[in-house]
Amino acid sequence: MTPEGISELISRVSLRDRTAFDALYASTSAKLFGVCWRILGNRTEAEDALQDIYVKIWNKADRFAVADTSPISWLVAIARNHCIDVLRARKPGPANLDEAVDVIEPSPDPEQSAVAMGEARRINDCLGQLEPARADAVRGAYLNGDSYEALASRHRVPLNTMRTWLRRSLMKLKECLEG
Amino acid sequence: MSTTPPDDTVPDGDDLVAAEYVLGVLPIDERRDVARRIETDKDFARLVARWQDHFDPLNDQFEPVSAPYHIKDQVDHRLFGTEAPPLQMPLWNSVIFWRGLAFAALALALIGFGRDIIQRPTPPIQFVASMAADGSPVRTMAIFDNQTRKLKVTVVAGDMPQDHSLELWLIAGNESPLSLGIMKSPQVTEFTLPQPVAAKLQNGTTLALTVEPVGGSPSGAPTGAIVAAGTVRGI
Repeated sequence: MTPEGISELISRVSLRDRTAFDALYASTSAKLFGVCWRILGNRTEAEDALQDIYVKIWNKADRFAVADTSPISWLVAIARNHCIDVLRARKPGPANLDEAVDVIEPSPDPEQSAVAMGEARRINDCLGQLEPARADAVRGAYLNGDSYEALASRHRVPLNTMRTWLRRSLMKLKECLEG
Repeated sequence: MSTTPPDDTVPDGDDLVAAEYVLGVLPIDERRDVARRIETDKDFARLVARWQDHFDPLNDQFEPVSAPYHIKDQVDHRLFGTEAPPLQMPLWNSVIFWRGLAFAALALALIGFGRDIIQRPTPPIQFVASMAADGSPVRTMAIFDNQTRKLKVTVVAGDMPQDHSLELWLIAGNESPLSLGIMKSPQVTEFTLPQPVAAKLQNGTTLALTVEPVGGSPSGAPTGAIVAAGTVRGI
């Protein structure tokens, strides 16, 4: 479905249109479930999170109109933020990363992916200007939900050092992205 | 702003807190504080939105994973109090039951039609339609209850496409097709029709299913092939 199609569905959901909500779920749940699975690492928590996320989407749909962002980015941000909250709230324990995942081949709209590729090249180019370990830390945080604690122990540095590292990396990234 | 501070200080400022929030690295207490601040501080919310824009392209790396449909039923249950379907509903889910019902309903429709000739017709409460199309393996059956405005549709033969959605359309007279939604399950998909739409569902109205991109036609008008169509009859 096109971004315009998804925007329209979200707008209709904000008017309490349940048919649009069904269609929105049908067209976006795989992407958001992919986010949940990657960050939470197991099916049970990912399923619970997906439920909470669509309840939030129903309740917050009216905010999309003022969000000034692409519909899929808005939805993914809701999903990521929710999953990271769940991750931060849970007790530390090993995540099961080996569960089988039924991955769907992404089939982005060609025009959309050309734009997305330009933007992706930009963030990737800018990440490429960081030291590889620091770029990995930034990617790991965004895509896997790594906390400062997790990053510090993985990179074997004290927590505060990690925070300094990452904040410096973010400043460099910003210069590159906005420069 | 492009000066890098000396190595022994932790850089700070709202912009970095916004970036940390978007990245997700903060501990739970700080995350909650930041989330509250986003709600109340517009300038800060803008910083967060800007960082979110910067990182959006990484979203492509989240691979889609198909989500089980029962999750949507649970969402509906939480939001609308609709009944979450029990794990097993053998009769309702049985194709044989539905085929039987389809024939019984059609038989009733025929009897009803004959009766209307000799009796003053009263507005029907239930409507049925059997949907099929030449060259298509898909056969579906629809039952509409005018009092509850619920339209139940089931696929009695043929498979649901894996990588497309089947979208249901109502065509009243010469009007353009009106989307009623997409089929969610080969067993029973229930559509609750708003009153103005329900009013269009009468003797002679056409119901049709088309193959559309996942989630339904992006334009609001049918774009794909008709896999099944049929005329509605009151019973």
